[in-house]
Amino acid sequence: MAIAAVPQPDLEVIAYEMPEQVTLLSDAWRRIRRNRLALVGLGIITVLFITALVSIVWTPYPVWLEAVGPTYQSPSPAHLLGLDQAGRDILSRIMGGALITAEVGVGSAIIVSLIGIPLGLVAGFYRGTADTIISFFINIWYGIPDLLVALILVFVLSDALHLIPRGVFVIIVAFSLTRWMDVARLVRGQALALREREFVEAARMSGARDFGLLLRHIFPNALGPIIVQATFAIPAAVLFEAFLSFLGLGLPSPTPSWGAMAADGYHGMDFAPHIVLAPTIALSLTLMAFNWVGDGLRDAFDPRMRR
Amino acid sequence: MRGTLSYIGQRLVLIAITTVLVSSIVFLLLHQIPGNAFLNETRQTPQSLAAELHHYGLDLPLPQQYTNWVRGVIRGDLGESLINRGVRITPLLIRETEVSATVGFFALLVTIGLGLILGVIAALRQNTWVDYVASSASVVGYSIPSFVIAIFGLLIFGHYLYIWTQGSFYYIPGWGKVEQIPVPALALGLPYAAYVARLTRASMLETIRTDYVRTAWAKGLRPPVVVLRHALRNALIPVVTILGPLVTGIITGSVVIENIFGIPGLGKEFITSILARDYNIVIGVFTFYAALVGLANLTVDVIYPILDPRIRY
Repeated sequence: MAIAAVPQPDLEVIAYEMPEQVTLLSDAWRRIRRNRLALVGLGIITVLFITALVSIVWTPYPVWLEAVGPTYQSPSPAHLLGLDQAGRDILSRIMGGALITAEVGVGSAIIVSLIGIPLGLVAGFYRGTADTIISFFINIWYGIPDLLVALILVFVLSDALHLIPRGVFVIIVAFSLTRWMDVARLVRGQALALREREFVEAARMSGARDFGLLLRHIFPNALGPIIVQATFAIPAAVLFEAFLSFLGLGLPSPTPSWGAMAADGYHGMDFAPHIVLAPTIALSLTLMAFNWVGDGLRDAFDPRMRR
Repeated sequence: MRGTLSYIGQRLVLIAITTVLVSSIVFLLLHQIPGNAFLNETRQTPQSLAAELHHYGLDLPLPQQYTNWVRGVIRGDLGESLINRGVRITPLLIRETEVSATVGFFALLVTIGLGLILGVIAALRQNTWVDYVASSASVVGYSIPSFVIAIFGLLIFGHYLYIWTQGSFYYIPGWGKVEQIPVPALALGLPYAAYVARLTRASMLETIRTDYVRTAWAKGLRPPVVVLRHALRNALIPVVTILGPLVTGIITGSVVIENIFGIPGLGKEFITSILARDYNIVIGVFTFYAALVGLANLTVDVIYPILDPRIRY
């Protein structure tokens, strides 16, 4: 019996055009490039980080050095942003403040994510008791003025740990302990939705363990919203630090925190407004930049906006 | 109607529980701080210190202090100020809440009023210069913290426009004059107004393209009726959902605003008491805040079905 020749599939015909493979990040980058506001934000953030790095090795004058010129002196070529009430060079202090701002913002975003992501994943993926406990915390917390709890926490932590000149560390920890719920709530929702999807089912069928499922399938698919949430944690933390230092509850006096500088300048505002203007404008620009980038990222990661 | 009432009742009980829970966290936190409010007092003998501690029940073991405190909260008694002996906290805070609530109310008015007007106009005039001005103002505005706006407000109205304002909003001793309200309320409300404007614009743009709005135009209804009754009413639904977080934000902002303008409200008391280590008052203020936020969220949830009849309790 002759075996009929199996017709060879015509590869020319079957081959269809594969969509170009892009990673999540390169795809997002491609779309964020079209968003002018987000690009401006990215520019400002780049300047902020470069200034922060430069301030570690060089500032025009030491940030804490008093009486480099007459007190309350207005901006001049020698001191581009003028001098403050103790005769310190404001430009140098703004640069030092950029470092603190960058530390607080990035540090808080990292710690918030480190606490929130695992808890959210566990709550959404395993449901049951773990979810009940974690959700209880998240729900109780919803709508509580968490910045004010963080404020009390800064106070308690620095007293309990005997860190009497309060440091950036205490502020980051206090902020993170009261803000991880936002990330956890978001990740929980994502995990709840993703665990029912076919690709997770398929991975489970092919013998993936829970940890592998969470790490390789659920977490990467929730990455977009997580990045957005972490980005928005940065301006919140920066604002918190400024808010604390402005009230005199944050970093102690010679530290060049923008909030503390605003509080200093605020008292001499009627005759030397430049002291208060420099830090408040720097702060506002920074917050704006992070919010714009956050908005841009949210649009870029949003599948409904995908073209 | 009965459904709504029992829903409100349930929520009130829940709010009470949350309030006690949240302020318990603050209570326990503050009692972890080593030392006490009286350590810095001069002319303190061991006997007088012991008497002081005994007077406030601070010599009891922590669990007993805690149960005493919870019992007090349930009776509506938040205890006595640690610094000013004899001052009961509850009446003090009720008085201060009235002040804070007045400023907060006007701030909310600025937020919602200005936000809605800007948002609606920007949406109706989409892609014209009106839209661009309103949108850029809101995109910039919502990132500027309220204390920065307060500083600018002081600089503009208190310094550059001194001839016009005569410093009337901060040179009058005491509190209770109408002139003292606008600048703090603006500072407190503006960042959130920008946020509300963005939100309103987005949701208005969606609703004015729906079929029923087109129908309303086609029927020849007058523009204000179409915009306000048909479009805005539906566009308001997503805006109402952020009212809860908005109130929380205004409360947080009021802490720094009240300190800048010297407004004798809860926020000023909060910072003064923290700095003076008057922990009883700090816990009390926080209890008030938790209750206020709970009530604000409840109000939002009650308004919700009025706007969106699909939601029922």
